[in-house]
Amino acid sequence: MTAVRIDGLTVVYKTPLGELPAVRDVSLELPAGSITGIVGESGSGKSTLALSLLNAVQPPGRIAAGSVEIGGLGDIVGLKGERLRQARGAKIGYVFQAAQNSLNPLKTVGKQLLDLGRSHGVADLRALVREARELLGRMGMDGARVLDSYQHELSGGMRQRVGIMLALVLNAHVVVLDEPTTALDMITQATILKIIREIHAERGLTTLVITHDIGVVAEVADRLAVMYGGRLVEQGPTREVLASPRHPYTRGLIRAIPRLTGDIGLAQALPGRPPTLATVPREGCVFRERCPLRMEVCESVDPPSAAYGERLVACHATAMAGATREETA
Amino acid sequence: MTSVILETSSASLRRNFWRGVWRVMKRKPSRMAGVLILIGFAFMATAGPLFYPDNLPRDVNNTYGPMTWEHPFGTDGQGKDVLAQVVTGSQYVLLSALVTALITVVLGTAIGLFSGFKRGRWDTVLMRLTDMKLTIPGLPLLLVLSTVWKFGSAVEMGLVLGLLNWGTVARAVRSQTLSLRERGFIEAARGLGLSTGHIIGKELLPTMAPYIAMNMLISVTGAVYAQVGLFFLGVLPYEADNWGVMLNLAVFGGGAMTTAAALPYLLAPLLAILLLTLGIVLVVDAMDEIFNPRLREE
Amino acid sequence: MTAFLRRLAGHVARGLAMIFVVATISFFIVRNIPGDPMLALYEKLVTSGMDPAAASQAVRVAYGFYPSGSLWEQYVDYMGGLLRLDLGTSVTNPGAPVTGVLAEASKWTVLPVLAGTLLSFLVGVIMGVYAAVRRSGRLGDILAISGSLLHGVPQYVLALLLGAIFGTTLAILPTDGTADILIEPGFTPEYIGTLIEHATLPVLTYALASYGGWILAMKSSVVTVLGDDFILAAELRGMKRSIVFRYIARNAILPLFTILAISMGLLFAGAVFIERIFNYPGLGLMLIESVTNRDYALMGGAFLLITGATIVANIAADLLYTVIDPRVRSGEEAAA
Repeated sequence: MTAVRIDGLTVVYKTPLGELPAVRDVSLELPAGSITGIVGESGSGKSTLALSLLNAVQPPGRIAAGSVEIGGLGDIVGLKGERLRQARGAKIGYVFQAAQNSLNPLKTVGKQLLDLGRSHGVADLRALVREARELLGRMGMDGARVLDSYQHELSGGMRQRVGIMLALVLNAHVVVLDEPTTALDMITQATILKIIREIHAERGLTTLVITHDIGVVAEVADRLAVMYGGRLVEQGPTREVLASPRHPYTRGLIRAIPRLTGDIGLAQALPGRPPTLATVPREGCVFRERCPLRMEVCESVDPPSAAYGERLVACHATAMAGATREETA
Repeated sequence: MTSVILETSSASLRRNFWRGVWRVMKRKPSRMAGVLILIGFAFMATAGPLFYPDNLPRDVNNTYGPMTWEHPFGTDGQGKDVLAQVVTGSQYVLLSALVTALITVVLGTAIGLFSGFKRGRWDTVLMRLTDMKLTIPGLPLLLVLSTVWKFGSAVEMGLVLGLLNWGTVARAVRSQTLSLRERGFIEAARGLGLSTGHIIGKELLPTMAPYIAMNMLISVTGAVYAQVGLFFLGVLPYEADNWGVMLNLAVFGGGAMTTAAALPYLLAPLLAILLLTLGIVLVVDAMDEIFNPRLREE
Repeated sequence: MTAFLRRLAGHVARGLAMIFVVATISFFIVRNIPGDPMLALYEKLVTSGMDPAAASQAVRVAYGFYPSGSLWEQYVDYMGGLLRLDLGTSVTNPGAPVTGVLAEASKWTVLPVLAGTLLSFLVGVIMGVYAAVRRSGRLGDILAISGSLLHGVPQYVLALLLGAIFGTTLAILPTDGTADILIEPGFTPEYIGTLIEHATLPVLTYALASYGGWILAMKSSVVTVLGDDFILAAELRGMKRSIVFRYIARNAILPLFTILAISMGLLFAGAVFIERIFNYPGLGLMLIESVTNRDYALMGGAFLLITGATIVANIAADLLYTVIDPRVRSGEEAAA
């Protein structure tokens, strides 16, 4: 069963150079009960994609084409006003980057929780507070104390857990986590990831984790999607993708990870720089500037996503290699 | 080697800078108007008095005269042309403003740099001092001072205002110095083996110049208001053809707050002050956008 | 709460120190005036044939004291008097203690300044929000430009323009004094009416003089808060618009309380002009008249009181800030 179906999504930003796509023709399905990780460098469009799930792309950006079907809600791209507001928070939870301050500095967490409850017409606010306290307790915090605290009295890891609590307390079944562990120390990071996995399983959530850290994805995600220059270049089950990456960019990414054991010289940085909104190629493959397998066709033709078992890869070279392999077989 | 790179990059920076200035100016024509207004005032103060005799002719039959072609802003209580008085009076205003500006910039920058550089005890003393200066309302203090000091000439007036004024610029320069220090700017320059003089003269000052200029313009407006205001209040000795004295005579001599006859006499210097303010506000607005790209709206 | 009290105590101590410094300054200015007026009077009396002791007594009566003893002794005397709220005797109002004259005058300054500040704060903050939300539009531009213009124009120019428009040209508002002298003072509708009528232009000037500052400050503050992460977070959590608006408003208004002090200080200083123009018998007018009449005891007192009002406004604004911002309240200084 599919909980979220993103289809042909294109998001453009208005710039002095005209409208430039940050996300181009992205299709992705999130199976119900799964954790999907999206990996990409900064500027790859992954955060924009995450915001699209709540139809919350900030101006000067806008969703130019495509749809985001969410189970029980329909196409969220078409939602407006009150109905959109009610869907946010109640149906789809969003957890902010840990580095950001997602709490009002002038109100205690508890008061903000009540504001949230009132916004969504929660009749029994006492039950809401009880639920919040329980969730915070599950995450290893003193719920009553945290609800009574201001943002500045909480550490980064604690704020992040409060963010997760606020995303879940209304029983949202789809949860988007945008860089949930950036800016946290290693220990806190591990704790947060463990919490995410546990609560996900316990509540049967459908979760999307956005990150630049392939380690985070390896830790929590069932499925993995790799983003580059606004395109999804490869997606599939996490183990498979990590064990035998097919897109040259995915290969480069994995090769760039330093191993704890073995020669550090084996870790190779990807040559070149990721494209920005202005420098991403308008036609042809977005990765060709840094690609070791670059061919003539990459200059002009956008590689279509081709299925290889459970895997989807958008690369001319991979497609040709696959074709030759099939021929020889 | 490093210095060559630094210099070429600063030259191209400068070129980009002027292009930026031109773009900001072009985007809002009002800013161009601001520059023109300020140039106009400078011209009025330097060349204006040449068009009129030293003692403006009086006409006892035409006191508080109406606006006519001959007297665009009417005449005063002695029948003297009001416009001529505004033009000749601009010299005192702008000359003292210039003196104030010079003292404000030199003292403020020097003390601000010193304090930001040395920090420690001197810094604390300086900040306490400027704190106090900012808390004591300036005009009442000037009023009290006027019983001791006579503010004879424009230069003397400018001097006093400058001495009372440097605190704002000093604070601004200090905080800029500190923030550059915070960003490792100074340590980096030290690391390159540059002397303190070089760091201040070649690196810090150029970075802060626009900031200083903006604060100076703002403090100059304050100085202009203060001196016109002091004359307006009538606590200073009478001075012929002075904007403040004109305002004073219009209100307390001509009764401009109750009768209409002296209104043009009142309005002429007021308009001059407003125009000068407008010019400075527009120029500061342009500078603000040139130097704070964050303010540029999409 | 203890943090609050500690802060209060610190402010009061610093405020008292400031007042002490200002008192010292005004003492030495007055004592160093060339051609001492008291000495001049004394010499005049003596040369006109009066006995030196009697002349000294006469000057003492006129000025409240006579400079006898060393400068240091005079200073100690003056400060001692200050502690007892005794600032000497005014020459222009023979026999009247300066403290009483100032107390009478201060109500004509404090009330209009407060009314003007309140008015401009409310209107300016609302307009500032509007200017921030519509900052790319034409009306936002107009609001911002008019804000900087009003902010830049000195108060006497505003007062004179308002007087010229409403007093002279339209002739609908009085520009002279606090009440119509033909109306019997008392708690009657007529008298209260004339009081309000006469206060309109001064209050309006105070309001307009600070209004520009509020617009500009509120605009930049709202623009900053709108870019803050927690506002987007609140929207993504599906918070009601009214709640998000409250979040924005409260966070954006906070920095304005520090400006409140500066603004009040400016207005107290500007009272000098506004009261002179509208012949309003407050502290400012008192200060000018005492300067013109060389009534030094009154001058020192008025200067001290205007400065003191500014300092008190400073302290009040900071304490208000403390009450609203939990970061400061709990004793941790906000990074801002």
